[in-house]
Amino acid sequence: MAFQTIVGPSSGTGSGVFPTLVFVQGNEQRVINLDHSPFGVGRKVDKDLVIADPRVSRDHALIVSENGVFSVVDQGSKHGTFVNGERVERKTLERNDRLEFGVREVAYVIFNPQHGTTNSAREFLSQISGMHISDETTDLEKLVLFLEAARKLNTIGVLDEILMTLLDVTLKLTRAERAYVYMKNAHGELRLAAGRNAKGEPLLDDKTISHSILEDALKSNSEFVLTDTSRSVDLTGRKSIVAYDLRTVICVPLRKPQVHATRDAEAPAGAMSAEVMGALYVDSRFASRDISGVSNDILHAIATEAASLIENARLVQAEEAGRRYQQELSIAASIQQRLMAVTIPEVPFAKLAGRNLSCKEIGGDFFDAVNTEEGLTIVLADVSGKGVSAALLASTLQGMIYSQLTAGMPLTDIVTAVNRFFTDKNIGEKYATVIIARVQNNGDVEYVNCGHILPLIVSNGEVQRPAQGNLPVGLLPDAKYQSDHCRLKPGDRLVLVTDGVTEAENARGDFFEDSRLEQAAISGTLEKIFIAISDFCGGTPLNDDCTIVELMYTG
Amino acid sequence: MALKIDTRKSEGVTIMSCHGRIVFGEEATALRENLKKVLSSTRQVVLNLAGVNYIDSGGLGTLVGVYSSARASGAEIKLTGLGQRLRDVLQITKLVTVFEVYDTEQEAIATFHRGAA
Repeated sequence: MAFQTIVGPSSGTGSGVFPTLVFVQGNEQRVINLDHSPFGVGRKVDKDLVIADPRVSRDHALIVSENGVFSVVDQGSKHGTFVNGERVERKTLERNDRLEFGVREVAYVIFNPQHGTTNSAREFLSQISGMHISDETTDLEKLVLFLEAARKLNTIGVLDEILMTLLDVTLKLTRAERAYVYMKNAHGELRLAAGRNAKGEPLLDDKTISHSILEDALKSNSEFVLTDTSRSVDLTGRKSIVAYDLRTVICVPLRKPQVHATRDAEAPAGAMSAEVMGALYVDSRFASRDISGVSNDILHAIATEAASLIENARLVQAEEAGRRYQQELSIAASIQQRLMAVTIPEVPFAKLAGRNLSCKEIGGDFFDAVNTEEGLTIVLADVSGKGVSAALLASTLQGMIYSQLTAGMPLTDIVTAVNRFFTDKNIGEKYATVIIARVQNNGDVEYVNCGHILPLIVSNGEVQRPAQGNLPVGLLPDAKYQSDHCRLKPGDRLVLVTDGVTEAENARGDFFEDSRLEQAAISGTLEKIFIAISDFCGGTPLNDDCTIVELMYTG
Repeated sequence: MALKIDTRKSEGVTIMSCHGRIVFGEEATALRENLKKVLSSTRQVVLNLAGVNYIDSGGLGTLVGVYSSARASGAEIKLTGLGQRLRDVLQITKLVTVFEVYDTEQEAIATFHRGAA
């Protein structure tokens, strides 16, 4: 029973297995738990289900529960209450019944609709019990079989199903009258998750249980607490026991299964931590069977297995949520890819190439190129940080710069405007290094460098590093930006890189650095530089995005 | 967590010595939290980065962020112990013009005593 697990996020719902109503009105669809009785339906705003239509009476109908059976009761409404198209005064409800209140078609309620996997867990379990259980099988063995099977089912299991199965099995084996399971919610408060009686009826409220014994059991360090009130137990303060004639109460705190980081030989298999995540409560009255003789083994098995079961169900839910998140992320990444796709402009005086190597699906680097009357402008930017937040800003930044370039704005105005945007919006510690270079057909280059790696000009086998610089954008609100000029001769190459290139690390912890970059740039074009980086890094993966933009001036 | 921060007081100035990497994530958060705590009780801080061998864009952002909020509340952070790599980064990003950088702790502390200009 060694349960290797990781701690998942706490499940906030624990809505329990109350019947549900699905309320449909126009395009709206809502699921409501029928968690108390009577349940009021009408036009008045204080109703449990408010239907805002003039044909619905203010106090139109009630849904009531008696002994686990639900009925709808019309309260003398003007336009009537309908079940499956038939007008009724009072009718018991069955699964999938369609209720209409005063209006037909436009709004209706489905009672306790059938989900695809409803009952599948219990059906499966009863199949198993039918197959494997012979007369000689003890109750304890049956319990273990049930719970192990349920645990395996958790690959498709739903928390609610598991809870109900747990209650069924507990009732069967302890032969108690009632069983309830409580779960701690996200705030650490104990909430009723599900209740069932020996007749198989759901129990919606726990007003008659002994809350005082439940609390005591939770505070204790015991595996379970069995109180037999017929044995002269001091009943001061035990109001429910007296009032409802409770004879035996059994509480089993459900403790979180131990987190094993490694297979620890000292930790006993299936060991419990002290953290209580819920509790099982079982009782019966004097008028019914004496359950105080229930086997300790059974209670022990419940105490250990049940918690694992529930924890497992929670993990499955968390995994499902994680999977959905991953999907969202990859959709976001593909949107970003499309936004970032650069159409390289064709100009007679230059050849442009650019490539980005992302270390994650979604990144903070981008480059762009725009050809206008003012010249061919290339942009390379690197937003601080990594992942989704950097990507979001990168896309925004790209949009801002692109639109200002096509509008023919001067380079220093563009970066000043971007800086204003970032600092005004108070995003936090996010900023970007940007370099924009505008090339004319005569080889003149105007550039503005905002905190970025110095550009390279490869000319006649030598490298120059034009050194004019400014603060990055988004750091300080009153930063001032200046541009500078340099000149390209035919055959010269202008190379822009992001710091993922110079900071690429190999296994020894050395950085690629400017010296290697300059060497690689002299020896070859963009592709050669990427090859040089990957040779240098060997197997060590990149820890930041690498982008290189290269403009070959032909004149 | 690849960053260690030691804090001590000397001549009325709080000196925070950092060792390791200041990078986006736990480390940048630790720097921010520590500085916030220190700034709640003092206005004079010297940040000694001699033990820092790497700072990434996230770390830099945090550094500037803390610097700005310190100034906003009337406190001052002076830097010292910058290695070549850090100097290069501050040079390229022109943040050398923004931060006050000194070669030694003593020099930094002395400027506090000469009185804030």
